[in-house]
Amino acid sequence: MSQCETIQESIGRWLDGELPATDSEAVRSHVAGCADCGAARQRLEKIQLTLGSMLSAEASRLEFSPFWREVQRRIDEKRPWHEELIDWCRSTFSAPRLAWAVPAAIMLVLGFLSLAKWPVGGETNNYASVESIDAYGRNVALLRDDKTKTTIIWLYQNPEGENENVEETAKPGPAF
Amino acid sequence: MELSDWQLVEKCQAGDADAFQELVSRYHQKVFMVILGLMRNREDALEVAQETFFRAFRKIKSFQGGSSFYTWIYRIAVNNAIDAQRKQKRNPLDFHESMDGLFEARNEVGKDPFSDVHDRELRENMTKAINELTPEHKAVIVLRTIEGMSYKDIGEILGCSEGTVMSRLHYARKKLQDKLSDFL
Repeated sequence: MSQCETIQESIGRWLDGELPATDSEAVRSHVAGCADCGAARQRLEKIQLTLGSMLSAEASRLEFSPFWREVQRRIDEKRPWHEELIDWCRSTFSAPRLAWAVPAAIMLVLGFLSLAKWPVGGETNNYASVESIDAYGRNVALLRDDKTKTTIIWLYQNPEGENENVEETAKPGPAF
Repeated sequence: MELSDWQLVEKCQAGDADAFQELVSRYHQKVFMVILGLMRNREDALEVAQETFFRAFRKIKSFQGGSSFYTWIYRIAVNNAIDAQRKQKRNPLDFHESMDGLFEARNEVGKDPFSDVHDRELRENMTKAINELTPEHKAVIVLRTIEGMSYKDIGEILGCSEGTVMSRLHYARKKLQDKLSDFL
C-alpha cells in the first residue's frame, strides 16, 4: 500500500480528531504537501458540509410551539391498553433484563426436571435383589429402577453350586 | 442561571412538566435532524421526533444519569427512526424536493446558475446516496455530521464499540464518495 493510500485511509479519523497526536501530525503534514490527499480531504469535508447544511436547513424550519403542543397532546392522551402493554413489555423484557432472565429460566427448567426425576417426598420403586436363574447356583444381581427398567449389575455362580431358592422342579441346564 | 440537563432531568423526575418542556426546546431540532438523516421523509421524521420525546417523557423516571441526557435521547431517537424506517415506504424524494424549495426560500440560489445546478444535483444525489446506506451506516455518519460527536459517544448511542463506529464511518464515507464522485 502506498503512503497516499495509507494516509487516505486515515483522513476521516484525522478530520474527526480521533487519531493519536503523532499520527495526526504525520497526516497533517502529508496532506499539506500532497495534491491527491488534499483533494481527498476536500471531498470528505464537502460531504460533511453538504449533509450538515441540508439537515440544519430543514431543522431551522421546525417551530418549537407546534412541535411541543403535539408532544404534550401525546403525554396528556390516555393511551389504548394494547399500546400500554407493548410499552410495558418493551421496558420489562429489555435486553439487559433478558440477559438475566435467560440463565434464570434455564435454572428453573433444570430444577423442574430434577424434581420430576426425583420427586420430593414421593415413593420410589427402586430396589436391588439377587435372584437365582438356574439350578447350578448361578445368580444375578438386579437393580430395578422402576416398573419398566431393570439393570443387571453382575452375574456370578455360587462355587458350591448351592442355591437356597432353587425350586425342586427346576430343570437342569442353562437358562440363557 | 441556566440549569444543566441533569438538573432538568431531576426536576422532571420530581414531576415538573416545565422542566421537560425546557429539555425538548433544547434538543428538538437536533433530534429532528438525526431522525431526518435516517428517514426519507420530513413528515415521517417530524412524527418520529415527537414520538421520541413522548417516549423519553415516559421513561425519564428510570433515567439514572449513567450517560448524558443527549446520548440517551439520541439513542431513543435512533432506535425509533430505524424501527419506523423499516416500516415506512413513502417516497424517498420528498426530502430533497423540499430541500430545493428551502434553499430557494433562503435565497441561497440564484447567484451563479452553474453553481446552482451543481449544488442541486449534489443535494439530490446526496439524498439518494444516503438512502442507499444501511440504517447503521446512516446513523454513524449523521451523528458525526450533526454534533461532531466522538466515536465513543456514537458507540454509546448505537450500542457498539468505537472500533465498529470507526469502520462503519469509513465504509459509509467511502460509499458516499463513490456515489458522489461526479459532484465533489
